[in-house]
Amino acid sequence: MKKTGILYDERFLLHKTGEGHPEIPERLTVIMGAIEESGLISKMVSIPVTAAKMRWIEKVHSPKYIHRFEEACMLDLGELGDPDNHICPMTYDTALLAVGGILNAIDMLMEGKIDNAFCAVRPPGHHAEMMDAYGFCFFNNVAIAARYLQLQWNVARIMIIDFDVHHGNGTQHIFEQDPEVFYYSIHEHPSFAYPGTGREFEKGSGPGLGMTLNSTVLPGQGDEEYKTKITQDLIPAFEQFKPDVVLVSAGFDAHAADDMSDILLSTEGFSWMMEQICRMTDLYAAGRLISVLEGGYCLDVLPELLKNHVEILLGLKKLHTETEKESPCLLINR
Amino acid sequence: MFIDKSMTKDVIAVSPQMSILEARDIMVQKGIRHLPVVSEGDILVGILTDRDLRAAMPSVILSEAEKADGVKRLAGITVQDIMTADPVTVSPAQTLEDALLLMERHKVGAFPVVDLDGRLRGIISVRDLMRAFVTVLGLRTPGVLIGIVVDDKLGQMKKIVDAISELGVSFGSVLVARVWEEGKRAVFPYLLTNNVARVKKHLLEKGFTLLDPMEWCLDQVPKK
Repeated sequence: MKKTGILYDERFLLHKTGEGHPEIPERLTVIMGAIEESGLISKMVSIPVTAAKMRWIEKVHSPKYIHRFEEACMLDLGELGDPDNHICPMTYDTALLAVGGILNAIDMLMEGKIDNAFCAVRPPGHHAEMMDAYGFCFFNNVAIAARYLQLQWNVARIMIIDFDVHHGNGTQHIFEQDPEVFYYSIHEHPSFAYPGTGREFEKGSGPGLGMTLNSTVLPGQGDEEYKTKITQDLIPAFEQFKPDVVLVSAGFDAHAADDMSDILLSTEGFSWMMEQICRMTDLYAAGRLISVLEGGYCLDVLPELLKNHVEILLGLKKLHTETEKESPCLLINR
Repeated sequence: MFIDKSMTKDVIAVSPQMSILEARDIMVQKGIRHLPVVSEGDILVGILTDRDLRAAMPSVILSEAEKADGVKRLAGITVQDIMTADPVTVSPAQTLEDALLLMERHKVGAFPVVDLDGRLRGIISVRDLMRAFVTVLGLRTPGVLIGIVVDDKLGQMKKIVDAISELGVSFGSVLVARVWEEGKRAVFPYLLTNNVARVKKHLLEKGFTLLDPMEWCLDQVPKK
């Protein structure tokens, strides 16, 4: 069994988004509930949560934007940029804690205190651009983590794997020209899904050309298409790039029961994908992997999805999964 | 939206007396396919296209000797010998819609833009139009397209806009497929939100019919 870190803090619940918003604190409470009830938590190493130092946030975001975000929360303006990005007075502090916790996870990983980790954080990060909040995201958690690995730990080759059903526009743009960070994303085809980027012809630019890879999935597709794309696109890219550390933008909204997309990935499909990622990470990156929560909004399926996710990180034999139950989240897609 | 707001003003033009080999080099170096041809005082006299040039060049299937001979003869040929004289032009005061419709009608990729005195002021190409439409569709702003089918009658758009605005969601653009099917139109709002589930749910509750993304089409829906 692996030494798997778990990052969670009740303060991650303090970022409130209000009625009608899918990115709610309950996402984390159901996830942590499942990890606790299944007894997995006792097998995991707790990661301390501290606010991130500003110098690391500034490696990705402009000081002007950081200031605008802080001020909007202090003044309780209700949103930052798009109305999508609901904020409350605690959002800024929560976002700092999320990043800080992830950086602590990286320290523990690089010091050999853990083999890998799952970070149950809010708010999510992969849509956040250098100078703008988008799609419920404020600080780009994974992007800051990658910069931290580069600058604090001199890691030369970092691979970001983003399986949130929405393309991680922010992460792609931040590393578009960086030859040392490979960004792979599998998501619903951008003509049908937010944010409208991540087309297969987007491959990075300048020195980073070829270091961005997008696999797009059409509405209505599921396990089979994911297996094809992961096998044809991700695995060869992994073998060629040979990362030293893998960061996962773990979004669970491609699930059939999640109404945020038209993609029909099953619970088993998610497990299969994560098993492939861990297998490749073991082969090429000595198993060094940090998984960071992005999207995933169906409270009915998150518990099982995350229990499986953590079991795979721990290297436990995957337990038998329950048969798919009808979920109320499904109603809208019909 | 006038052409002079979207045209390329820094246009490269050539003289009628220029050798076509020189003109070819300019096209290759600058990566352009249309060279307006001007006489003194920037008066437009024609346009040289890559198609005009290709037609004048020796065929690749000729022998080396024949090709060398052809190239030798080309050195004496000038732009005015092979250019399209009196090309279709547009004025800076015409609109992007004019340019779009004229391109469709004349099946060309670019028009020289000339003022009332016949002086070259710029060039408007398919590329300029594409850039303008990519921008106007909002494709560079994070958002998501949804498809709604409505009856082809007055007031439908207002209902859609009202329903979506109630949720505080902004529009990046709206496309309308006019010939969706008899008596119906398909409306495609590009919404600046990641919270698409909430929008869809709200529209369904209001009685709208959402379209399966795999059926989306801007032209006439193909008959099955």
